[in-house]
Amino acid sequence: MKARSTLTALVALLIFCAGYAALFLAPDEATMHAIQRIFYFHVASWNAMFCAFFVAFYASVAYLVTGKRKWDALGVSGVEVGVICCTIGLITGPLWARPVWGIWWTWDAKLTSTFILWLLFIAYLLLRGLLEDPEKKASLSAIFAIFASLDIPLVYLANRLWRTQHPQPVIAGGQGSGLDPTMSKVLLLCLLAIFCVMILVLVDRYRLELLRNEAAELKFEIESRGPDALGVASEGAATRALQKGGQ
Amino acid sequence: MTTVRAAGIVLAKELRLEFRTRELLTATVIFALVVVVLFSFAFDPTAAESRRYGPGLLWIAFLFAGSLMLNPSFAREQNNETLDALRMAPISSFAILLGKILANFIFMSLAELVLVPVFAVLYNLSLAGIVWRLILVLALGTLGLTVTGTVFSAVSAHARMRELLLPLLLLPLLTPLLIAAVESTASLFAEQPALDRTWLAFLAGFDIVFLTATWLLCDHLLEE
Amino acid sequence: MKNFEFLFTAWMVVWAVFFVYELSVARRITQTREEIERLKQQLQQR
Repeated sequence: MKARSTLTALVALLIFCAGYAALFLAPDEATMHAIQRIFYFHVASWNAMFCAFFVAFYASVAYLVTGKRKWDALGVSGVEVGVICCTIGLITGPLWARPVWGIWWTWDAKLTSTFILWLLFIAYLLLRGLLEDPEKKASLSAIFAIFASLDIPLVYLANRLWRTQHPQPVIAGGQGSGLDPTMSKVLLLCLLAIFCVMILVLVDRYRLELLRNEAAELKFEIESRGPDALGVASEGAATRALQKGGQ
Repeated sequence: MTTVRAAGIVLAKELRLEFRTRELLTATVIFALVVVVLFSFAFDPTAAESRRYGPGLLWIAFLFAGSLMLNPSFAREQNNETLDALRMAPISSFAILLGKILANFIFMSLAELVLVPVFAVLYNLSLAGIVWRLILVLALGTLGLTVTGTVFSAVSAHARMRELLLPLLLLPLLTPLLIAAVESTASLFAEQPALDRTWLAFLAGFDIVFLTATWLLCDHLLEE
Repeated sequence: MKNFEFLFTAWMVVWAVFFVYELSVARRITQTREEIERLKQQLQQR
């Protein structure tokens, strides 16, 4: 518990430093000025998203190979947190686009691909919700997660190839090439900060899933001993009632 | 028994089953036609527009029709628990899947065989000189659709709301295939018909990736 | 600062989303822990 509180405090400090750096220390960008600072969080959240989905992929494979439920727990945590990061990216993108381009959304390669990813992994969560048997839920959603993860590079590649044929305004355009050294440092700091936040949230979600599994197991045990437990309880109640009546 | 032979037997069973009533095939063709007609109300296709939007239209019709047609593939097996019977047979899971994939591929291809000429007539597009190249593009695209669709049919067969779930799982996954297939088809319907090698390679790559994944995961897909 | 509202909203969105999610997870962890305690007690009454 102590270690966890210290860790949380450290991450909070990191977030504060990253935020300060992004908002005040980073130099103003030539054409977009202040609004460009969204770039630091925007890119960082996509980076966190990919890491989370990678964890989900790894965990899904591990579950199918080992059959241990903890990997399934990690898998669903990875996907859920990944979807959260994806949502953040998809909201900050338009918030950046609107003042710069005057439009909320553009079907450029990166945004479109990320939107598809969002839909794909939301489908994973829906699938889990609609499967009832816990074993089936774990193995079938692992299979879907693997297919979805394999699709990720294909989605980005297809959209990239397609957009170079039909050019459109690019949201994160030109930032990667020749980044100002201070900007690079700030970006790295923000990448690290959001990555750490993602890990913290992931670990917590993982713990929640493990606890849920434990609760489900206990429920199952109680139910399978059903008549016994009830019988003892009612026996005890009956004995007590007799005693009371006797007095 | 070799995988290929076993798959062949499963394929034969699927074909026999379907051709007894042909209801699935008929429904698929009609549905795709409905989609094509509906799109004609959404915009008024002149010749130039047909060339631009036509291929996209065609493939969207195929994807929608496909995601409805692929559902019964495994949903049917739930009724009398025939999947258990299949599993108990001395054949590999991959053979079962392969047989079903091939069956779905054939059904889808038959539907496309009917639809493409009709579509060409309705949208005044000429098929002259591009037939074989078009068949190649259709084959690669349909293969990707049926491989992933059959796998997801097996996945969603165990879930509630499976008719809605299958398209939900399948369509986002297939967006790269859609892009590649549409671009390949579009370049064939262009003023100077040409086979776009990049997109063709992409389609082939897509098929290989997911066929391999299916082969690796088939046991987990069909286990009890 | 030009376009400050957009920058501020984006900044808030990032932390709000993470924060709300973390809160929701933490709350459910406490709930599940309580449920486990309850179930364990029920089991011991056998």
